[in-house]
Amino acid sequence: MERFENLNFYELLEIPVNASPFEIRQAYRNALSIYEEDSMISDSFFTDEERNAILRRIEDAFSTLIDKSQRGGYNKELTDAGVIDVALLEKGKPKSKGPIPLFSLKKTGGQKSLFARVKNRIGRKDFTEVSREILSKNLISGKDLERLRKHVGIAVDEIFEVTRISLKVLTAIESDDVKSLPQAFYLKNFLKAYAELFKLDSGKVIEGYLENIATLKNSK
Amino acid sequence: MAQIYAIGGGKGGSGKSFLTANFGTLFARQGHNTVLVDLDLGGSNLHSFLGFRQVKKGLNSYLNKSVSDLSAVAVPTEIPNLHLISSVDCSLEIGNLFYAQKMKIINAIHRLPFDIVFIDLGAGSTYNVLDFFLSAHEGIFVFTPEPTSIQNTVQFIKAIYLRRVKQILKHYAFSNVVNELAGESEAGLVKSPLDIVDRVMAKDPDRGKLLEKELRKLAFKLVLNQYRKHIDETLGNKIEKVCNRHFYAGFQFLGNITYDERVHNSVLAKTIFANKYPYTPTSTDLKQAAEMMLKKPGKASSAIGKYGEV
Repeated sequence: MERFENLNFYELLEIPVNASPFEIRQAYRNALSIYEEDSMISDSFFTDEERNAILRRIEDAFSTLIDKSQRGGYNKELTDAGVIDVALLEKGKPKSKGPIPLFSLKKTGGQKSLFARVKNRIGRKDFTEVSREILSKNLISGKDLERLRKHVGIAVDEIFEVTRISLKVLTAIESDDVKSLPQAFYLKNFLKAYAELFKLDSGKVIEGYLENIATLKNSK
Repeated sequence: MAQIYAIGGGKGGSGKSFLTANFGTLFARQGHNTVLVDLDLGGSNLHSFLGFRQVKKGLNSYLNKSVSDLSAVAVPTEIPNLHLISSVDCSLEIGNLFYAQKMKIINAIHRLPFDIVFIDLGAGSTYNVLDFFLSAHEGIFVFTPEPTSIQNTVQFIKAIYLRRVKQILKHYAFSNVVNELAGESEAGLVKSPLDIVDRVMAKDPDRGKLLEKELRKLAFKLVLNQYRKHIDETLGNKIEKVCNRHFYAGFQFLGNITYDERVHNSVLAKTIFANKYPYTPTSTDLKQAAEMMLKKPGKASSAIGKYGEV
């Protein structure tokens, strides 16, 4: 075994180089239970100075490894020195059988989530011409937004699934139904979400839409 | 040639003789021709564990040349395959053994015609104890889960280690280093045996390497005796880890031996615990530890301290 002073932080805490923060914390606690002042073991083996030096090193190791950016820097040092293999760092450990986080439950039966699918469909389609034409207008109406949506090939309920803007509001926006539209504050946010979904300049869309609504109100 | 196990550990009352008697019994039961040698000179009591009230012949007969061979004083016990060489017949001053006698005993033990030899040692870390310990193939440190016991055991380990370092230095004629270090250790500069290794390394890296290589051949075992439930059960493993980390040597933890009130009864009744209470947790622990010892037989060819050479 290597001399204690020459152990790297991973060897010191006896953890693999791709250890999770949980493992690091546990290893740190174990190391403390051996070397801390109250431990039955440490005062038989070490003088106070030796123990303090060891504890400082353990503290160093823990604070470095638990901090993501510091750990990255330290890993780089080690890989540059050829102490650890890069492949070892990158190879993620097989996931432990811990509890599954609530929000990663796949309700779509193994398929990608609807959100990802819709995004994907929008991403694949080239609709810059239509969107540029809409953005170039001073007044942007609900009809323009609807035209764009149909051009890309997305249904209203799919927009609802992604943005969680209710169908009632969506149809009101698309049909310029002034009476059913929500308060300006909410409307702006809805428009922003809608515009961002289709990669439009949200500021411009909100501005154009609100002006269009204002002219509609005035003409009545 | 016999496989020799030495059972030591700095503190008295930690159960060295108890473990010697019980390990010996377990080994003998498995068919190994086993002999127990009581080298707790001046404090011999191993025979009491084995049901002897008195032993007529023992180590003294060999030392005063009334018998020519140490195996002649090996007395069979009531357990088949198990023999005892007692030192209860020795004089009261046997504790202060002469160097020549010590070497005579060590050499005689190495020639014993048995499969397994257990050496039961006394407390303390005098040269005699250290040298007997180092003459074995495998050294077993016994300690109990108390700070005092751990302290004594660690001191004992360090003393053993220092003794071995000095042996090696002497053997490879690092005499200038030895002289220098001897002066320093008197001046209190060398607190830990590792300091010596460090100093040799710093002064003469080649010899330092050699020293390190020799030290790495050392193989020790640890047994935690009188283990009680509320104690951290990884204590032994932790000590094993610290030893392995901070000494250049191999330490193996054999396991916890559970504390049992009835051990006291078995000592009073002068019977072997593992025989009298074979189905207790303590006996199971003893069996497991014995199995671990047998599973990985050390390099039988080289004694820990290589007494033949030094």
